[in-house]
Amino acid sequence: MKAGFLVVTFIAALSGIVSAQANARDISGYWELTYMDSQHVPRPQLVPRVTRAVLDAQAQKDFKAVRWCNILGMPAIMASPRPLDIRQSEKTIVIAAEINAATRYIYLNRTTHISKDIFDPTTNGDSIAKWEGDTLVVDTIGFDPNKGVTAIPGGGFRTANTHLVERYRLLNNGSLLSVRFTWTDPGVFRTPHTYEFRYARLPRDYEARLPLNCDPFDETRTAFLTARP
Amino acid sequence: MQVKLFAAALGTLAFVFGISTTLTAQRSAADGARALEGGWVRLDTSGSGSFGGLTANFARAALTPEGAAKLKPQRDPDDVEPDNRPHKAGEPYIVTQGRCGGFGPGGVEPNSAALFIIPARDEVLLTREGPGARHIYTDGREHPPLSRIAPGLGHSTATWENGDLVIDTVGLPEGGVTAGGWRTPETHLTERYHVEDDGMHMRITFTWTDPKIYAKPHSYSFQFERVPADGYAFENWCDSGDPLQRQSVVPPEQLP
Repeated sequence: MKAGFLVVTFIAALSGIVSAQANARDISGYWELTYMDSQHVPRPQLVPRVTRAVLDAQAQKDFKAVRWCNILGMPAIMASPRPLDIRQSEKTIVIAAEINAATRYIYLNRTTHISKDIFDPTTNGDSIAKWEGDTLVVDTIGFDPNKGVTAIPGGGFRTANTHLVERYRLLNNGSLLSVRFTWTDPGVFRTPHTYEFRYARLPRDYEARLPLNCDPFDETRTAFLTARP
Repeated sequence: MQVKLFAAALGTLAFVFGISTTLTAQRSAADGARALEGGWVRLDTSGSGSFGGLTANFARAALTPEGAAKLKPQRDPDDVEPDNRPHKAGEPYIVTQGRCGGFGPGGVEPNSAALFIIPARDEVLLTREGPGARHIYTDGREHPPLSRIAPGLGHSTATWENGDLVIDTVGLPEGGVTAGGWRTPETHLTERYHVEDDGMHMRITFTWTDPKIYAKPHSYSFQFERVPADGYAFENWCDSGDPLQRQSVVPPEQLP
């Protein structure tokens, strides 16, 4: 009798361990950035080359992207005011947003980036990832400096030489997702620029909506965007 | 004592067998998910040279009189009125309003951009190479009432049947369907995603059913080829602020 009980207990315990490990390494779900948890972004230390004039010129490019409803790209997608749908399968993690941003693809089945000789830079860049314990480490390069909104929270902007490392980790029994962003770019930042966003898990019955529509020929919108206060 | 031990062993065996049976059932769905995961590119299997030519070979929809009365010519809302005159070599002409940022309703059929399938817990995500995604719920939820479905891509739920992903969608906006069909929010679309045994080819069979519109279910299939293992998603770029966005391709010099 004892033997049977022990076998059953052992199998149940094993299955519990496997399940717990699987959950810690599965960030699938709908995640919403909470207002308070996106506010504590330190100011980066910018290199002297990044003057006020450089920042203003970059802001003008970003404004044009918003004005014409261009796809926004990184890092704007991760600061979406609407939920992110993050889905994880064996080889890929995909982040789909309800804003005008191209879907992000993060590859778990690659350990190196696509060669610069063949990769056309994009607003989201080329992302590869691996698990370090319960932390998903995502490494991204290959940003297009001229497309989308390039502004980085806190200050600075992405360029063709920008390197981003994100560390994703579930907190509070999986009800929160912490993402720690570290941006490095010798042409923009004097030291790595790091900040953390926290996303709250939405209920399982949440239903995704179409991305917010953006009409570049909406005159009212254009007038609102270009009006001087 | 011996009887008790035997009963315990039998119980354990039944428990393990139960787990194994469940795993076998799960494996079927898991195998299907593993086979489907990744990027797929639509094929022109008939050599017609265009997807329009390919769909022209599909069996036409058998419509009810009510369904036939609904048919209206379909047109991309971004198109401009054609000027209907020949254009010289090197003379570009305006063909669209150049509008980006819209996520056209009813965009459930694949186009020439790669389609990516991400089977995950509770949901299968179908994405392309730009904004927007189809969210296919596999957690057992039911469709909400039509009045609660947001305009756009309808509401999709799915099950796994012998490794095939079978999606049921309602709530699509009213509009045209390939090969002479029509749809309203009440119309059901069933899509069956089947990966061939070679793992490199996939077939999606679309079936539209609606007793008000179709005399019999309207069905057709698309063929796909898997994006290579080292392939990756591109990013479609479109800039409404670029005047070239509105133009045709520049007409080339014609042979005499």
